[in-house]
Amino acid sequence: MPPIQDIGAFNAVREAGLAKLLPPVPRVAIGMGTCGRGNGAEGIYHAFADLIGRTGMDVKLVSVGCFGACFQEPMVNIRLPGEPLLVLRRVQIDDVARLLQDISSGRITPELVYCKLEEWDHITSTVKYGRGYPEVPSWTEVAFFKGQKKIVLRNCGLINPDDIEEYIGIGGYQTLYNVLIDGRPDFVVEQVKASKLRGRGGAGFLTGNKWDFLAKSKTDPKYIICNADEGDPGAYMNRNEIEGDPHSLLEGMIIGAYAMGASQGIIYIRAEYPLAVHRLRRAIQNAREYGLLGNNVLGRGFKFDIEVVEGAGAFVCGEETALIASLEGQAGRPRPRPPFPAQKGLWGKPTNINNVETWFNIAPIVSKGPAWFSETGSTKSSGTKVFSLVGKVHNTGLVEMPFGTPLKTFIYDVGEGGSTPGRAIKAVQTGGPSGGCIPREMFDTPVDYETLQQLGAIMGSGGMVVMDEDNCMVDVARFFIEFTHSESCGKCVPCRVGLDKCLRILTGITKGIPGMRDRLEHLDELARMIRDCSLCGLGQTAPNPVLTAMRHFRTEFEDHLLARHCEAGVCQDLALSPCENSCPLRMNIPRFLQLYQENQIEDAFLSVILDNPLPGSTGRVCQHPCTMRCRRQTLDEPVNIRDVHRLIADTVFASNNFESIVKRIIARKLEPTGRKVAVAGAGPTGLTAAFYLALLGHDVTAFDEKPEAGGMLRFAIPEYRLPKAVLRREIELIERLGVNFVFNTKVGIDLPLNELADRFDAVFISIGTWKDSWLYLPGTELKGVHSALGLLEKMSRGIPAPIGPKVAVIGGGNAAIDSARSALRAGAEVTIYYRRDRSDMPAIEEETLAAEEEGARIVFQALPHRIIGDQDGAVRAIEIEKTRLGEFDKSGRRKPVTTGEIQRYECDTVVLAVGETFDLDFCKASGLELKEEGTLIVNRFTLETSRPYFYAGGDVITGGSNVSNAMGFGKQAARNIDERLMGEKRWDRLFPEFTYSQQPPAEPSGSRRHNGHLIELMLRSRSNEEVVTGITPKEAHEESCRCLRCDVKTNVSAS
Amino acid sequence: MPQTISIRIDGELVSALQGQTILEAAKQAGKYIPTLCYFEGLSAVGACRLCIVEVAGTDKLLPACTTPVQDGMSVTTTSPKLTQYRRIALELLFVERNHVCAVCVSNGHCELQNLATSLGITNMRHWYNYPNLPVDLSHKRFVLDHNRCILCTRCVRVCAEVEGAHVWEITERGISSRLTSGLNQPWGQVTDCTNCGKCVQVCPTGALAEKGWAVEEMVKQNDNISGLAHRKGGQ
Amino acid sequence: MRKVKLATVWLDGCSGCHMSLLDMDAAIISLAGKVDLVYGPLVDAQEFPDGVDVTLVEGAVSSMEDLHKIQEIRLRTNVLVSLGDCAVTSNVPSMRNPIPVNKLLQRVYVEGADEGKVIPTEGVPPLMKHARPVHEFVKVDVWVPGCPPSAKAILSVVTDLLAGRKPEANPNPKFG
Repeated sequence: MPPIQDIGAFNAVREAGLAKLLPPVPRVAIGMGTCGRGNGAEGIYHAFADLIGRTGMDVKLVSVGCFGACFQEPMVNIRLPGEPLLVLRRVQIDDVARLLQDISSGRITPELVYCKLEEWDHITSTVKYGRGYPEVPSWTEVAFFKGQKKIVLRNCGLINPDDIEEYIGIGGYQTLYNVLIDGRPDFVVEQVKASKLRGRGGAGFLTGNKWDFLAKSKTDPKYIICNADEGDPGAYMNRNEIEGDPHSLLEGMIIGAYAMGASQGIIYIRAEYPLAVHRLRRAIQNAREYGLLGNNVLGRGFKFDIEVVEGAGAFVCGEETALIASLEGQAGRPRPRPPFPAQKGLWGKPTNINNVETWFNIAPIVSKGPAWFSETGSTKSSGTKVFSLVGKVHNTGLVEMPFGTPLKTFIYDVGEGGSTPGRAIKAVQTGGPSGGCIPREMFDTPVDYETLQQLGAIMGSGGMVVMDEDNCMVDVARFFIEFTHSESCGKCVPCRVGLDKCLRILTGITKGIPGMRDRLEHLDELARMIRDCSLCGLGQTAPNPVLTAMRHFRTEFEDHLLARHCEAGVCQDLALSPCENSCPLRMNIPRFLQLYQENQIEDAFLSVILDNPLPGSTGRVCQHPCTMRCRRQTLDEPVNIRDVHRLIADTVFASNNFESIVKRIIARKLEPTGRKVAVAGAGPTGLTAAFYLALLGHDVTAFDEKPEAGGMLRFAIPEYRLPKAVLRREIELIERLGVNFVFNTKVGIDLPLNELADRFDAVFISIGTWKDSWLYLPGTELKGVHSALGLLEKMSRGIPAPIGPKVAVIGGGNAAIDSARSALRAGAEVTIYYRRDRSDMPAIEEETLAAEEEGARIVFQALPHRIIGDQDGAVRAIEIEKTRLGEFDKSGRRKPVTTGEIQRYECDTVVLAVGETFDLDFCKASGLELKEEGTLIVNRFTLETSRPYFYAGGDVITGGSNVSNAMGFGKQAARNIDERLMGEKRWDRLFPEFTYSQQPPAEPSGSRRHNGHLIELMLRSRSNEEVVTGITPKEAHEESCRCLRCDVKTNVSAS
Repeated sequence: MPQTISIRIDGELVSALQGQTILEAAKQAGKYIPTLCYFEGLSAVGACRLCIVEVAGTDKLLPACTTPVQDGMSVTTTSPKLTQYRRIALELLFVERNHVCAVCVSNGHCELQNLATSLGITNMRHWYNYPNLPVDLSHKRFVLDHNRCILCTRCVRVCAEVEGAHVWEITERGISSRLTSGLNQPWGQVTDCTNCGKCVQVCPTGALAEKGWAVEEMVKQNDNISGLAHRKGGQ
Repeated sequence: MRKVKLATVWLDGCSGCHMSLLDMDAAIISLAGKVDLVYGPLVDAQEFPDGVDVTLVEGAVSSMEDLHKIQEIRLRTNVLVSLGDCAVTSNVPSMRNPIPVNKLLQRVYVEGADEGKVIPTEGVPPLMKHARPVHEFVKVDVWVPGCPPSAKAILSVVTDLLAGRKPEANPNPKFG
């Protein structure tokens, strides 16, 4: 190919290139970026090539770069002549033969098709592919691409990066040509200035001003450099840009060189990007052959060439002065600016450095004009930015969005929310290790340089790592500091030593090393000092992850330091095992499983009951958070922990040896202290506190307004889920430990708090949420409208339920499901109406499924509109309004939005199960401070209220939760009340030493999980008999063998 | 002849020459700014960050040793924040390695120790690293004790810029950075070394010292080195 | 007027700070009139008493015994003073820190011994991994660096404390 010297030759190449892109035969393009190759794109390419070769089909096969939707790799584009370009996702080798059949039949089956492109705006020209496939969504209609605007990624994934003619075919190098013919370099600089393009490397300095600076310099030679030293973990946009479209970079640089008068360009690229380096080298070679680089660019007498230099992978070399040092063959260490590179850069000559993405924007700006460019984006930041959206979102990949797009669009719309069911998204880290984490509550923030900076984060090169509840923010901060610490060049003191100290403090916190309590202040001070005093950008931004984590997630730091607890379960040194860490009662689960496995049933029971005073009841109704993080599920399914402790409890309570075991428990009681403690409310929270306080030797009296103890367990949870006999024997045991019960006494009404204060040394308030929330909608005054709790309580007392044959239940929590199933057992036909979707239901999933099996119907996305009565004032029907799931709210769930569509359902009974509340005015009157939402204010760690010696736990501080959470508070309160009353730590004295194997299984047991057995549908759905029979001793033994013993921590010596 | 401009240092109007750094202008005006890695006559590297000052109109703290003066510039050399940050920088240097003043040849003549005194440091709030570092005794006249090195690179610069021998360099990075001689050889084996001892004399601590001195006896003689450097055409 | 209860403690140090304390010439006589020296190497008390007003601590925390002592002392002391470089920076005792404890003991008691080449285990408190400054273990109220701190510096701090003043920040603290 002779170099292009005139417009005729250029146009000829352009036409040839376009013909390659839109050939008269089918064209198959395989996405062969690093992301595609990592997912097997090469195999697919070869499979196509083989089969095409063998069959002799007339199909043009090419490789292209990445189209951005990395989660859908390997991606393949297929276009039949005259038809739209179809983007296929997750193509496997097995699909190849069928796809070729489709191609020869002239119709692609839509199964693998992700979206279609009928035409494409390459900015430098528009390519029209054709119309068709009405059933396939256009690319702008799929969630991942909706709202994206591809300026930088205009060619990525569509043209062959190795074919310069295809680039020229879509209008590439046309802008360069025009600029050279126009012959006004200063005008190009003016255009870039007017576009307000800002450096995409992170700092956001105005590119035009930098250019102007260099253009005005009279020194010769001048250098221009492309910074492709992309080193942030989780960021790979520059890699994909170069892999997919190297010529856009070259064209930007050649235009820039012409505008600034530079004769030599250098691309400094990471050696870790071999594919990008390879494609870049080939592109440069081709550009030289075609006369686009060299002594006479496009025959216009302009001299410019580009050299590729591979960096050795030091993060700090992304800093421009360090990059220059590295190019000069010195160690990559930055130096203070001024002098700026534009004054004294490479080899002491004026130098301009821009990021890959900045160069990509040049040709579009020059060709379409600055006004066109600044139409997109926010006022201060024009254009688009490519982000790498990774982490805990469904859809990951490269996202090019206009500046000013809110964070939530990225995470909830493009990313389609969290990737792990049941784990809410917690934060997003922007800007990689130099950025900061932004909490969910601030996802409304529009993304641009200034707003991110205000939140303590930065734009950086565009990394966006999404984190959910499984991420510990202390650990995240530690991780990023570990990175910058190891990448610090060591030149200046704040970064070299300061980051080392930061890392040691953070590691200490995550490892629970003692003596770290006052370190938070030091950490904060140190982080600010490093930020304000460091020499270069690396040090100045390195503390951002720590500063933002401490600002937005301070409670997590406090949890680690003060309660030795890592909510996310990441910091293993703070927990016995993941199950123990997630259990609100912090039960030593591996211990009782091992004891059971060793057939030490009595010790297993002792272990269980000393950790959890209601093991049989919780064994039936607990939400079992322990299974959520059980590591066994990485092999198959989590261990069925709950059913094992249920069986242990059931076995021992029924055994002949029970009395001797009771003696062993009573023997654990510490000597009487003479201190008197009142427990107000004998529900799960109060019972737990009373149990431990009695064991600690205190004189405990528990008060309750009901005639019996047990609270919700007794009066709300139906018999068929929790037989009352099970609960009763557990309460009896607590009584035998010496707890006095006073019933039918409402604390605060019948017995003023001040009187309790006189009679007792400490008071624990643990009353439940016995007041139903009431929905105020037309018709709730009608006969046949009931509250769920009122109904459940009546039934639990054996009073016949006042329900008719057609029941509507409103709500999606446990109370709703319990009411529905109780109504089924009373012979009614039941429909549940819930305003959100199934995955949002707060009820335990197994219970919901059982209810459906028993005949309950659930209508989702249904908001009650009004209840219609008959002439007697009784319920006749309910009208609901259909909802659709709208935007994500601050809780990370989609907000139900009304649609106006009303549906009517006949019924005679309506049960409102829309939440519970309580009335704590009496507490306020006694000097206890309340939060705005009506719950009591307590110290998070001690549970002491604003009034000394008054403690509170459970629903009164959370506003309603579940049984095990409630009991956890009881346990925590007992421990702290004791410490306060006695002035010493006596808690550990309650627990005996157990002897059991400390050897993890050499091989995980091969057994599968045993679930509790549901009794036959016929038997259960019309009776109050317990519906889940639990597991058998043999199954329990197998379950206990399935435990991987995460509690055994062997010291792996570093070898 | 450079142009004379006026700037304010701590509110006082002083004159400075175009092209001077803030530190040079301050020195000329008799104003004290603490420094550690800076050595007159050698190139300034802005590494220790003790000479950071506040300049009106920017939120950033700037190192006085490398920031050029500008006409009308208003510089603040001391503020509670600057003092706090300078103290932290010094504390970090103390805890980074094993500085045991009581047994050091430079005790009483050490710039690090003197700065701690002048900044009123009574204790280190951060935990010590206690790294295990060697002492290079291979040179016949001098000794390099890494335990006392603060990586100011004065030795590197004086050797390269004044003596022209390029014996010293910093190897590794981050907290592992270490001074090294020749091609990472023992100092005594570096044939490029001219044994001039300039590195020893400019070293602010006891890291580089002459052999044969006991505790408190190593007094550095470096008054003439700046002059030498100026004659060599250094900064 | 009630005399101030003063105690002094000697952890891992050389007693030089105590020497400096005694080196304050005539001032010590007037000082003696104002304080009750209730514990320390200079007096013959066996138990560290309760309710001590001021304790001067010399030496770094090197052994489990030092740690135990300083924790007890902190509980029974109102104002705790780290006296001298060993207490403040861990100074000379810290010079062993880069060396693992077992290697250290081996070198001293086995390789370096002429006879009876055994590492003593009975009657000696176990060494901690590192000798560390006092304030890394307990809260310290006043630091007086120096090796040793000058008698003048000690006197100035003690005088301030006796007068019920928070000691003025030492205008010229000097390590070494």
